Amino acid sequence: MKLFVYLSEILGSKIIDRDGKVVGKLCDISMRINTEIYPRASGLVIEKGLFKHKYAHVPFDHVAQLNDRIILNVLAEEIQFQNKWWKNDFTLCVDVLDQQVVDTDNHKVVRVNDIHLLRVDNRLYLAHVDVGLRGIVRRLEWTLFVDAVVRSFAPKAQYLTREDFISWKNTQILTFGRQKNVLRLDIARKKLSQILPADLAEIMEGLDIYERLSLFKSLEVPLQRRVFTDLATQEKQDLIEQMSDMEAADLLENIPADEATDVLSTLSKEKILQLTRRMENETAKELRKLLGFAKDSAGGLMTTEYLYLNRDATVADAMAMIKDHVNSPGNIYTLYVVDDEHRLVGSTSLRRFINEDPQRPILEVCFPKNVFVRTDDGMEEVALLLEKYKFLSIPVVDAHEVLQGVITTDDVMEELIALAWSKYKEKLV
Amino acid sequence: MKKIITFFKEHPWFKNIWIFLAVMGPGIITANVDNDAGGIATYSLAGAHFGYTLLWSLIPITLALIIVQEMCARMAIATGKGLADLIRENFGVKVTFYLMLVLFCVNITNVMAEFAGVAASLEIFHVSKFISVPLAALFVWMLVVRGTYKSVEKIFLFACFFYIAYIISGFIAKPDWSEVARETFLPEFHFDLKYTIMLVGIIGTTIAPWMQFYLQSSIVEKGITPEDYKHVRLDVVGGCILAPAVAFFIVVACAATMFKAGINIEDAKDAALALQPLAGNYASWLFAFGLFIASIFAAAVLPLSTAYSICEGMGWEAGVDKRFEEAPGFFGLYTAMIVIGAVSVLVPNFPLLGIMYFSQVGNGVLLPFILIYMLILINDRDLMGEFVNSRAFNIIAVLTVAVVIVLTLVMVFLTLRYGLG
Repeated sequence: MKLFVYLSEILGSKIIDRDGKVVGKLCDISMRINTEIYPRASGLVIEKGLFKHKYAHVPFDHVAQLNDRIILNVLAEEIQFQNKWWKNDFTLCVDVLDQQVVDTDNHKVVRVNDIHLLRVDNRLYLAHVDVGLRGIVRRLEWTLFVDAVVRSFAPKAQYLTREDFISWKNTQILTFGRQKNVLRLDIARKKLSQILPADLAEIMEGLDIYERLSLFKSLEVPLQRRVFTDLATQEKQDLIEQMSDMEAADLLENIPADEATDVLSTLSKEKILQLTRRMENETAKELRKLLGFAKDSAGGLMTTEYLYLNRDATVADAMAMIKDHVNSPGNIYTLYVVDDEHRLVGSTSLRRFINEDPQRPILEVCFPKNVFVRTDDGMEEVALLLEKYKFLSIPVVDAHEVLQGVITTDDVMEELIALAWSKYKEKLV
Repeated sequence: MKKIITFFKEHPWFKNIWIFLAVMGPGIITANVDNDAGGIATYSLAGAHFGYTLLWSLIPITLALIIVQEMCARMAIATGKGLADLIRENFGVKVTFYLMLVLFCVNITNVMAEFAGVAASLEIFHVSKFISVPLAALFVWMLVVRGTYKSVEKIFLFACFFYIAYIISGFIAKPDWSEVARETFLPEFHFDLKYTIMLVGIIGTTIAPWMQFYLQSSIVEKGITPEDYKHVRLDVVGGCILAPAVAFFIVVACAATMFKAGINIEDAKDAALALQPLAGNYASWLFAFGLFIASIFAAAVLPLSTAYSICEGMGWEAGVDKRFEEAPGFFGLYTAMIVIGAVSVLVPNFPLLGIMYFSQVGNGVLLPFILIYMLILINDRDLMGEFVNSRAFNIIAVLTVAVVIVLTLVMVFLTLRYGLG
């Protein structure tokens, strides 16, 4: 008995029941959806009838023998046939065979010509997908003929021995164009969650725009955000332009505001309005505000996502606020205290109040407002202040002392490095 | 100055035009390539042998063309995939392979006809085919292998402009416009075998299998988003009106001259030559020039379209923007079709007419399959989402497809029974 079997070899073979009666023929194999690297077959889809097809699903436990003949350990009468084909299982013919998959190793999109199944103890595992020419020829049932012809003309041809397999571990189903098929998305997500976001971003760079969008859409929302921030600027822009406005707005709304601003600033004014119109009012307002500022001013650098408390809050409130935001991406260790008009009063940090009595007013454990920048201050000034006070972030206020946002060290570093680099290059020239 | 530019860029009315110009291309190019060497020959014969009496048929043909092509454009936008991709994914490798095999054979004969058109049109200007055909083949080959999608599309769009030659020669022929109008809008059908053969011939040459594949792939390669759908539709509908309009003037030009004078012609070259004594040198030259442009244009697009479809269906890398090493299958197929097409014209006593006969039958057998697959695909809500066919459109589409299929099968039957024309 062969260890490996091709799907094309067993598709269409007769299925025989315990008494040797023909039940029908094999038309598909359903797979278990789990986190195993190589999914296991969960059942067979049997087809019968010449003109009006009927289908039945038999769990794999009922399969007694699976080699050149498929024998079941139940009786034909016990199998229930239905008129319709159900699409709610993950099956090889519907979801994998003939579909496009991403070869995550070589960063290429290929089409599945055949499927290589591993057979162990009467169980089937999805091991490889065949993307080579031999797979097509096998599916067309021309293997004997083509092999004979090739062998007689070129006995040493690569074609005869070459197998273009991709391990299932390194393949990724593309879900684009099947908008309603949640199931494919599910499988895709489980597999994608095992790849690091930075690697995913790199894989995406190798694909064309539709494929990229398709892969991107298969990611879970939190992963989408992380991968998106790892993409190059041009790719971010392409991706946003290809998405529907709703999807794009949803994504931009959920990534750090300074990242979203960078992407938005590359788009046309009209597109920005279209996108921000679909966002939550608050976020939209913030993004628009950010976009109004010059790129290298404090206003352009700042993010509007920061933690703040009213001046009459207590230490307990501060602790609760930090706990609530444990999962948010930005800096959560610094809190800003504002008055009723949102004017900056002072700032405090976790280090300062962590050992204080929870009932103590926050104002008593607060640094007074003496370090801040204005929205139109230049980047150098921001950098100098951050360096001088060794703060992780610095508040930005407008002409009326109203707190507008904060600038974090990494935002400034990113810009400064780029600036330093371009100056350095000028000198070289 | 800057203000004026911003005004033209930002004003909603102009903005729409800019978007349209950016999206424009696939629909207009596909429809115009439809007026290739074979098409021009068919329309010339229709005009020369039946006068204005077949003009009416161009109106229903235009409508059918719009309905079929619009579905392709919609599929391209909803799925981001070519027609061959979709057929492969939904109907399996066997169906796809044999469809592609027939498509390849049919299209290669069409390419031969295009190179024959290049040779014939330039012979009118006294250029030997041993010079014109190799040069044309080289030009066409370089265009795609060395070009990018954008540059190729621009050249193709530019070529569309030259079809104006036929419109001018239609006017030079001084037709009786009142008669033209009467025959166009008040149709009368002639129950005559030759007339019927000509009629189905016109339909067969206007709605061809390769067009569906080419239109869909080129919209996908252009990367057009669902938001631009209404502009794409305008491009497709515009093309589908423009192409039969050119056909209309070809029929008119031939009807006003050859039919009135009772001159019998065999092909498009005859038509150009016959125009000389009847309508003067300029009409004849314009006609020949139009044939040359149409042939060389189609000789570039047909191999391109075939290479795209086959690569999509078989899962090979494809795209004008790729390099030869990246997509060997794509460029190999493209090159092979051009070489075979060009060489066949230069081989003495090549049975071109017999091959055309085969091509017409092949086209006719292929088209019903493709149209039926298209209808199944476009009704798959899973695949199309909100772009699925509406019930009303579906009735129109099914009726159109049914009529086209019946007429195509009639054409196959008549071709098998009576040969070409």
